[in-house]
Amino acid sequence: MDNFNLDPGLWAKVRNIILFLFLVSAAATGAGFFIDQKQFFHSYLAGFMWATRILLGALFFLMAGYLAGAAWNVTFRRFSETMAATLPYGLILFIPVALGIHDLYHWSHADAVAHDAILQGKAAWLNPQFFMIRAVIYFAIWTFFGLGIYRNSTAMDKDKNIQHMHSNSRFAAPGMLLVFLATSFAAFDWLMSLDPHWFSTMYGIYIYAGGGLASMCTLALISLGFRRVGVLKNSITEEHYHDLGKWMFAITVFWTYVSFSQYMLYWYANIPEETIWFKHRFVGSWLSVSKFMVFGHFVFPLFFLITRKTKRNLTTLAFMAVWLLAMDYLDIHWNVMPTLHPTGFAPHWMDFTAPVAMVSFYAFFFWNRLQQHAIVPVGDVRLYQALAHHNI
Amino acid sequence: MENLTLTKSDLDAISPRMVLDKGTRPTGYREVTEDVVSIVEVKTPAAWWVAFVVSFLVMCMLFGMLAYQVATGVGVWGNNSPVGWAWDITNFVFWIGIGHAGTLISAILFLFRQKWRTSINRAAEAMTLFAVACAGIYPVFHVGRIWRAYWLFPIPNTDLQMWQNFRSPLLWDVFAISTYGTVSALFWYVGLIPDLATVRDRATGLRAKIYGFLSLGWRGSAVHWNNYEMAYMLLAGLSTPLVLSVHTIVSFDFAVSVLPGWHTTIFPPYFVAGAVFSGFAMVMTLLVIFRKWFHLEHLVTIKHLENMNKIMLVTGTVVGYAYGTEFFIAWYSGNPYELFTFQNRAFGPYWWAYWSMISCNVLSPQFFWSKSLRTNIPFMFVISIFINIGMWFERFVIIVTSLHRDFLPSSWGYFRPTYVDILTFVGTFGLFMTLFLLFVRFVPMIAISEVKGVIAADKHRNLPQHVEAEMAVKHNEIMKVVV
Repeated sequence: MDNFNLDPGLWAKVRNIILFLFLVSAAATGAGFFIDQKQFFHSYLAGFMWATRILLGALFFLMAGYLAGAAWNVTFRRFSETMAATLPYGLILFIPVALGIHDLYHWSHADAVAHDAILQGKAAWLNPQFFMIRAVIYFAIWTFFGLGIYRNSTAMDKDKNIQHMHSNSRFAAPGMLLVFLATSFAAFDWLMSLDPHWFSTMYGIYIYAGGGLASMCTLALISLGFRRVGVLKNSITEEHYHDLGKWMFAITVFWTYVSFSQYMLYWYANIPEETIWFKHRFVGSWLSVSKFMVFGHFVFPLFFLITRKTKRNLTTLAFMAVWLLAMDYLDIHWNVMPTLHPTGFAPHWMDFTAPVAMVSFYAFFFWNRLQQHAIVPVGDVRLYQALAHHNI
Repeated sequence: MENLTLTKSDLDAISPRMVLDKGTRPTGYREVTEDVVSIVEVKTPAAWWVAFVVSFLVMCMLFGMLAYQVATGVGVWGNNSPVGWAWDITNFVFWIGIGHAGTLISAILFLFRQKWRTSINRAAEAMTLFAVACAGIYPVFHVGRIWRAYWLFPIPNTDLQMWQNFRSPLLWDVFAISTYGTVSALFWYVGLIPDLATVRDRATGLRAKIYGFLSLGWRGSAVHWNNYEMAYMLLAGLSTPLVLSVHTIVSFDFAVSVLPGWHTTIFPPYFVAGAVFSGFAMVMTLLVIFRKWFHLEHLVTIKHLENMNKIMLVTGTVVGYAYGTEFFIAWYSGNPYELFTFQNRAFGPYWWAYWSMISCNVLSPQFFWSKSLRTNIPFMFVISIFINIGMWFERFVIIVTSLHRDFLPSSWGYFRPTYVDILTFVGTFGLFMTLFLLFVRFVPMIAISEVKGVIAADKHRNLPQHVEAEMAVKHNEIMKVVV
């Protein structure tokens, strides 16, 4: 049987690594602010969206698991729960986005709105005050459900009272609805409004789909990281990795379905106000990035993950998890950056430091919370089923 | 791991496989066979004949209407300019949507290891096939000269001298639906083989010969089972993208256009969710009746119905999200035509259709948040009827309200169905019910072998001994069904 508690030595060591990574990347990114302010805010926004979506994806599948009565995910469910409970700290990360509103969002300039009839029409929604209020509401919803589920589950560790499980299932039903609503509106606000004239009803689903994918990859990588140092070796087995791989495969296909539908329908109807967004992404080297995404975010992972072998082989699965996380970042980058670099793909060094800073920021709090309780929900009766999980 | 305090609902929650049992009737292997197969073995009940004759007559009315339409022309429908598409495509999409529950239950829930699907998948899959048959009538008869309907397929032809338009989603529909129909039929039939063999083994004479022929020489050997399980899984894997593709492509029929109200990117997933929603409502309507009629309450339990209600709650809410997002983006886009279309839907001449749709599809499933309501059989029956109506209205609203007020006010119009429209649609229910009644009379309506698989799996669930002991003690209490 595995030890379900985190070894303090290991904990301190990893904490130091996270802290080091954070300090270095945050310092570098912070310095970037004084070098190129506009670039700083755009890189920051991309990193922030990428990292936060991972946590939101984890929260979504956590709630879906509770609702469906899933047992297979229980052995690594504490990671999802802790990730979801890290969401409140995102509000701190949001502050620079709010401060950089004029560098990021064209609609935030009163003089621009004054000369733009369409933006005047949207001013009831797209104005700085309401933008901030909405952001607070989104984080309030995410925090309520993220922390609520985490608290219930950790309380179950001690009193073994199954009522906590039921209460989480009850939480999860309205939670899925509200979290989904908040996330899709956050996608409209923080990403879609970068190009304030453009609109797409699919956009919220499209942005959340990538987050779901990234969360599965992250869960696989956290589990594999623990496995490397011999933790939870017998609890998170090949069978669980196989299922995580299936989810990675399924969400890759879903992401493609959603983004292809969005693209194809606009391409087909060919209305200028709609195609303009894609046209910006077909300029210069952006076109190569767009084409590469078709391959890197769909064709390659599709064929790579379709066989049973690659999902059960931990090395290939780890490779694909890293690859898909990188692709997911590229997707966000491709969404954000054409407003800043309309002529072509121009990665900046801040595009590397900012995502690292965001992820290590969240990781710090994640890691802190993780050592406060057992790293597996030991009070959950479904743990028995999860430990014995077996693919047929 | 000690000190687990388990109540009735706790045990219920951790032992989903025990869903079959009722506590009042035994569900051993023999009893399951007996209860299901006897339905096709007993003398045809009088009630069945009554239902069949009524359905058959309604179906005859369908054929009469179609004959009249072919003889006279498509003008007997109420379609006009600007409403060039009306009940024909509304009913087509309605029936195609109904068909989605079957494959979702049999394929997607199979991949998700949802054991409870085994009690309802057979009937739902049969329903899929019959719904697709009803749907197919509309495009075929809308071409007018149905003897030219084969032009829908890209086959070399001497009289046409041209190829179909591969850029048209209507042609994609031809491929999507014919593939879906074929794979669904195969999937259904493969699942049937062991059960047909069970019927064969209990039959004599001509009956045994017919069922023997249909069961394709099934002997139940280990090799047979091994190949069967593999074929079943592969078909499930194939069907999963198919379920999603069919309604996606149906949504493309509208969304690729430049018409406000049709052209929006959320259409594909929104249509798929709506299709699943309507399909589950139809399964619910039928199963509530048939489980009672054929005394299958111990196999299709309240828990099955409750799970279906939960799925309806989810998909109904997804559909509500789509309605809301469409409306929001119509405003947000700043496009006056887009906004007008949506305001016109809600407050224009078809306001009654719009609000019927909203109340039936978005509001009525919200009652299922309450456990007592989603386990109340008369209540869920009524709601399922509401959802059937609401999902029909959804297609009507999308199609007719977007068309009836064209860009120029001089081209505004109004659609009223003719009696041919109405009787044709009523007639498709006759076709559907006729086929469904034949199905319950001649084919085991519950997948016997799969249900037995669940009973067997129950013996291998992995719970600690004291939990098992407690479950054994509280068995009757857990399985007690409150109706």
